[in-house]
Amino acid sequence: MSTLDQSGTVHISDASISVELETPGMTLNIGPQHPSTHGVLRLVAQVDGERVSSLEPMIGYMHRGYEKLVEVRNYAQIITLINRIDWTAGYANEVPFVVAVERLTEIEAPDRAQYIRVILTEMTRISAHLLFLSSFPLELGASTPLMYAVRDREYVLELLESVTGGRFHPNFNRVGGVKPVAGGGSTTKKQSQDLPAGFIAATNAMVKRLRGTCVTFDGLVTGNEVFLARTKGVGIITPDHVHQYGISGPNARASGVGFDVRKHEAYLPYDKFDFAIPTETDGDCFSRYAVRLAEIRESLKIIEQAVNDLPGGPLRSKVPRILKVPAGEIYVRGENPKGEMGYYIVSEGGRIPYRVKIRTASYSNLAVLPELMNGALLPDLVAILGSLDFVLGDVDR
Amino acid sequence: MASTKLGFPLKGIFKGMGITLVTLFKPTPTVNYPVVKERPTERARGVIALDTDACTSCMLCARECPDWCIYIEGHKEEIQPDKPGGRVKTRAKLDRFDIDFALCMYCGICVEVCPFDALFWTPEYEYSEHKISDLLHDKDKLTEWLATVPTPPALEAS
Repeated sequence: MSTLDQSGTVHISDASISVELETPGMTLNIGPQHPSTHGVLRLVAQVDGERVSSLEPMIGYMHRGYEKLVEVRNYAQIITLINRIDWTAGYANEVPFVVAVERLTEIEAPDRAQYIRVILTEMTRISAHLLFLSSFPLELGASTPLMYAVRDREYVLELLESVTGGRFHPNFNRVGGVKPVAGGGSTTKKQSQDLPAGFIAATNAMVKRLRGTCVTFDGLVTGNEVFLARTKGVGIITPDHVHQYGISGPNARASGVGFDVRKHEAYLPYDKFDFAIPTETDGDCFSRYAVRLAEIRESLKIIEQAVNDLPGGPLRSKVPRILKVPAGEIYVRGENPKGEMGYYIVSEGGRIPYRVKIRTASYSNLAVLPELMNGALLPDLVAILGSLDFVLGDVDR
Repeated sequence: MASTKLGFPLKGIFKGMGITLVTLFKPTPTVNYPVVKERPTERARGVIALDTDACTSCMLCARECPDWCIYIEGHKEEIQPDKPGGRVKTRAKLDRFDIDFALCMYCGICVEVCPFDALFWTPEYEYSEHKISDLLHDKDKLTEWLATVPTPPALEAS
């Protein structure tokens, strides 16, 4: 109802419009250089005001052609390349590949090497999850957790560096065990690349310290009302989505699908350790955060057990100097911090694989994004993207 | 779509504030870099050092390098016998040994495959350059790094 003021004119805010206005949707390009997209991801969104009617991720900006590159390199050279697929978890990328080659060549890595692989894989998992714990609240506007997580991640990375010599790209696995020697020469041949002295004590101290970090994060982030308001009930992945899109890892476990390659496939001796698979049922952004925080605690448990009953013995089985892999094909998967990572190797015999298919977790985890964003609010995009925890190198590879 | 109502008196936020307040009085973990330098571990893969006397220019490292960033040239030299009637020996002489650290992936395969212990890792890391072409370290530069090679760390008893 319009009201007349003293001058007798109708105020515009009071005028009622009876015509239905055409408000066409707008196409919004986000990226490829956008800070909240974790790299070079371009999103094409159809928005109606603040609401997203459809969204499509455009991937491929980080494509480096790994599957083609590995066709012209021998197995030792591939190990150093595949470190870079998911650069937040370099060590976890190597393990399934090395296990696959070991199964093809029927070489078994000694127990001590297997345990070292478990310890370092779990350390990588912790460092990758701490990176998530730093970036996810940051994207929602909290900068303090970033400082805390990155500070404590350094303790893990220092230990990784003391063993492997690299913080991000360890390149410590070799077919048949861990990196054998500092050099192949006559004087260095006899030195084994075992754990450096003091590693076990330092690891135990790190485990204790990171347990404190988990408690800090519970107080700092988990109970924070603003964080809860931004994440609870946002971006719900249902168990159906998990099966349709092949989502794996913490994202699947946050939706109640308790699948973990560590428990289902014996690619490393995980059956010797007592640990749980944390699951949540809600499937929203908060569950994905909670699962990762719980996974850090479980990984610490595994590291503690593995370090304290580390078996003795050799670090590497006998492997011919020029490694020739017999003809055959094999698929081995492992639990990357992002989810299931697998290598399908086809060998025709010889030093170089014929074809390697790389299955990465982030690719499938990102594929569910259009489904989640359908009808969601644009500000929630940042929360959903952050909670999916993908790495563009892992998506495009 | 927030399902959680902001509760009063924002207990969670104050709890977080308490944690940051406690951390305020803890020592800082960061290092004032150019003044204070951090020493990486002995195994850190910083830069590669070359022992030219040990190198026989066998090209194994250059061949095994995943991105082919090592350039080697050499020739055979004849050593005349000391005594008359002795055998003429041939000896490999290294002319050029360059590593392009702009290409290098720091994987360490070259160090690993060297059969004569001519290559070593050192944890030195301060060799950034303004020009990318200056990252190509030649024979003399690589030999300079040899002085910084640390002794391997003691091992955990197995």
